[in-house]
Amino acid sequence: MRQSLKKAAEQVGRSTGQAVTIVRRHAPDYQIALYMGLLMLMGLIVMYAIGPQRANFLNNIEGTDFYTTNYFFIKQTASLLLAMAAFAFMATIPYRLIMKYAGKVLLLAFVACGLLVILGNILNIDQLTLCTKGACRWFIIPGGLGTIQPAEFLKFGVLVFVAGFLGIRSQQGLINDINRTLFPVGIIAVLSMFFVIIMQKDMGTGIALVSILVAMLIAANIKWRILGLVFAGLLAAGVLLIVVAPHRIDRVATFLNGDNTSVDDASGYHISHSKIAIGTGGLAGVGIGNSIQASGYLPESINDSVFAIMGETFGFLGLTGVIAVFTALLLRLLKVTDHLNDMRMKLLAAGVFGWLASHVILNIAAMIGIFPLTGITLPLLSFGGTSMIFIAAALGMAFQMSRYTAFGSKLRGNENEDSSSRRGVGRTRYASRRRPS
Amino acid sequence: MKLELQHGSRTRLLAFIVLGLMAIFVVRLFYLQIIKHDEYVAMAMEEQVKRLTIPAKRGMIYAMDGATPAKLVMNTTVYTLFVDPQVIKEKDRANVLKTIRRIAGGNVQPSIEELISRTDTRYQILATKLTRTQAELIKKETLTGVGFQEVSQRYYPEGGLAAQTLGFVNAEGHGQYGIEGKLDDRLTGKDGLLQSVTDVSNVPLTIGRNNVNQPAQDGENIVLSIDKNIQSYAEKALADGLQRTKAEKGSVIIMDPQTGKIMAMANQPTYNPAEFNKVQDGAAFNNGTVSTPYEAGSVIKTLTVATGIDKGVITPDSTYVNTDTITVGGKTIKNATKGQTGTITMQRALNYSLNTGMVTIAQRLGDGKNINVQARGTMYSYFHDKFGLGRQTGVELAYESEGNVVLPNDASGAEVRYSNMSFGQGMDVTMVQVSAAFCSIINGGTYYQPTVINGVMDGTDFKEKQSVVAQSGVISQATSDKVRSMVHTARSTFYAGSDKKGFEVGGKTGTSQTIVNGDYSDDQTIGTYLGYGGDDAPRYVIMVQVSGKNMNLEGGKHAMPIFTDISNWMLDYLKLQPKG
Repeated sequence: MRQSLKKAAEQVGRSTGQAVTIVRRHAPDYQIALYMGLLMLMGLIVMYAIGPQRANFLNNIEGTDFYTTNYFFIKQTASLLLAMAAFAFMATIPYRLIMKYAGKVLLLAFVACGLLVILGNILNIDQLTLCTKGACRWFIIPGGLGTIQPAEFLKFGVLVFVAGFLGIRSQQGLINDINRTLFPVGIIAVLSMFFVIIMQKDMGTGIALVSILVAMLIAANIKWRILGLVFAGLLAAGVLLIVVAPHRIDRVATFLNGDNTSVDDASGYHISHSKIAIGTGGLAGVGIGNSIQASGYLPESINDSVFAIMGETFGFLGLTGVIAVFTALLLRLLKVTDHLNDMRMKLLAAGVFGWLASHVILNIAAMIGIFPLTGITLPLLSFGGTSMIFIAAALGMAFQMSRYTAFGSKLRGNENEDSSSRRGVGRTRYASRRRPS
Repeated sequence: MKLELQHGSRTRLLAFIVLGLMAIFVVRLFYLQIIKHDEYVAMAMEEQVKRLTIPAKRGMIYAMDGATPAKLVMNTTVYTLFVDPQVIKEKDRANVLKTIRRIAGGNVQPSIEELISRTDTRYQILATKLTRTQAELIKKETLTGVGFQEVSQRYYPEGGLAAQTLGFVNAEGHGQYGIEGKLDDRLTGKDGLLQSVTDVSNVPLTIGRNNVNQPAQDGENIVLSIDKNIQSYAEKALADGLQRTKAEKGSVIIMDPQTGKIMAMANQPTYNPAEFNKVQDGAAFNNGTVSTPYEAGSVIKTLTVATGIDKGVITPDSTYVNTDTITVGGKTIKNATKGQTGTITMQRALNYSLNTGMVTIAQRLGDGKNINVQARGTMYSYFHDKFGLGRQTGVELAYESEGNVVLPNDASGAEVRYSNMSFGQGMDVTMVQVSAAFCSIINGGTYYQPTVINGVMDGTDFKEKQSVVAQSGVISQATSDKVRSMVHTARSTFYAGSDKKGFEVGGKTGTSQTIVNGDYSDDQTIGTYLGYGGDDAPRYVIMVQVSGKNMNLEGGKHAMPIFTDISNWMLDYLKLQPKG
């Protein structure tokens, strides 16, 4: 097993040089950046509007005046700048370089998760780790700089490594080889799940990781029969994980009981209040700064529940807008995925899609009461640096990938029609658009 | 957005899944935000909007102290001590009870040992009506599971003074009897409402659209026309008088004939409004001067004489032949005082309270021989319409009785009844009706609306109420002068020596039979005295009534001394100047 992993790692870093079609670097899909920027801006407006209330509420319950009026707005702005830097960085550094270090990145992520287990679960060092109810999810950065969630890093690591690995296997024609392809991926998956779901008790991140993997497996054109087996295995694992953890059973029970759950149950309270917040918003919302649920009724009002608070503030129109932007961004990612010829790039884009889609869908579905709560952030909108920086980094990669898309005749690698002449660079998409079909 | 996804590609499938899910989300949002919007707003309101009632202060009640108002009913805050038996540990119980007993003493409820051990409950009242000092002393002991509730309560600096006029406030905060009952709404005021959207820790937010801040409207501070000194003296005089005569019940009303304002209303038996819940017999709550109609007897003769003079059928010097009996409608009416036979004046008939004289006046109101329809109509229009007998006067006290004066054309309103009415039997009237009527016949003919209210206190300003003339010219000034003189003569004929010299005091006795088992009884009579006093004008009217089960109480013997006592004191109190 170790050998096969090692071999896989070596192969991921290697340039294949066997691309069926060489597509030259052209102008990226700026819409990806546009939608990301729009969502970030919306998140910033929400922080500006409800940040003071949240600060006031936290000061009251903690009996401090630690949180200044614009604490959350300022921190979000800082996160945003870092996220944009991460986006720019990942959009710029050649993806081959990313692939080269993918194995080390994943290794580092596993080490970080392991360190969290050692420091948090075993040594119980409160100064360096943040644990709640035996689940240690965060490192504390000394000096009050905030916290880091290594699970986000793990998502990133899994994304780049598995994209490279599956990409190579695909080009080797071994994509459906269970022993050489799926087994190593399965080990990575199990190891990740161990850290994220078992040790950190973070079902949301677990589902996101699975989504990243599944999106890549689907995009890698693995036989449906094998995919069916994967899904069956995931379903069985999911049921097992729910059954062994009482708090998950509670959440599922809460969800199944609908509105009738007692408020004593934290997740029942959470769901009913997110629905109240959304329902109160009506068509156009109560307006900026008029949210009442944000004054402490709705838990996690600026983090996981930001969608609900936006529902109260901006109403049906606002939420439909948010959903529209997310949908556009997701479709844009699918478009990039679809039009990439290099399998590693294609899978990278597919993984980014899986990452973003799982967060958006799980978060919104929980907030509107059609799926149990998993405690997952709404990307780019929720308060919280780590999540935003890593999703921006992932989008940065997708943005870079969008420079290598191929359209029209060269899609199927038709070498005879060389449309990748220098003249066509950067204009391919637009040219193809103008062309009568 | 043009995606150019390849047909049948897996990305195309993913795109459909994304679009499908997002469409479901939007539909769900439409359901939550548009269709169920009102429902969620209601749920949010229920949770976020807190209502706080700001209790209105109940108005205080003032009495007059000479010319200035003085507090008669105030509010005080007392404390109810309660415990949560589930919170207090078993070993701490003894200590808690010891402390409460030591400080609260007499305010402690019976069997608190049992109450504190009722751990199936979370609220047990162990002591009531604690003073602020007591409550603070107990609070200092910092006992867990012990709490206090503020309760506003009426406080009576003058004790039981004017108890029936005041009434009381029951445990639910509603006024009962007297002015508290009658003017409950004005005294209660209107509770304010503080309705605010709050955050999760109940701190009011400024962003709510449903915030209401309606300050409480405190109840009016009402100033009674009751003068606390006169009231106090009247109560004492009545109590003394009853003790002398061994009568059980008695009432006194004192009015200002120039304004209709009631200066005192005293009743026996009485009670202390602060301890209304300890009263055994509800009769003590009853204000006999307004709520107990009775046949007032010969004091009514003053009204009969006034009617006769005003209609011009008699003068004080008119004569008739008195045989001590007179037959009306086949019924013989006798005088109570015998021996004044022969041709005598109406003045003499009044002096000796001769029923025959009054029946004669009634007959003269008709054809001279019979108390015919015309006579009865005239009597009714005077007694009922002008003097207000058998009608509510509108005095501002709860449970005012109407009384009853039978209509002249009623089957039971024939001659015999009207002959009885001429000397005060056969109709039910209240003391306040008779006093107000008497005021009008001695003050020149102006019927003032009887009232116990002198005005209101607005902060520290006393706003006096104007007296209300209900009817002017009920009798002529000339008639009034003559009647007043006759009443004065009637008193001074027998009791001149009792009154202070130099003042004009007049009065009329009344001893009325009561109906016992459906028949008039001579064994149970009510003694009444109705009179006035003053200098060059009448300044006060006093009506005294004493009664008792199976007791023969007479106006002259039993009620009159109480009148004299109060009257002589009044002359001093009002600082009237004697003539000559």
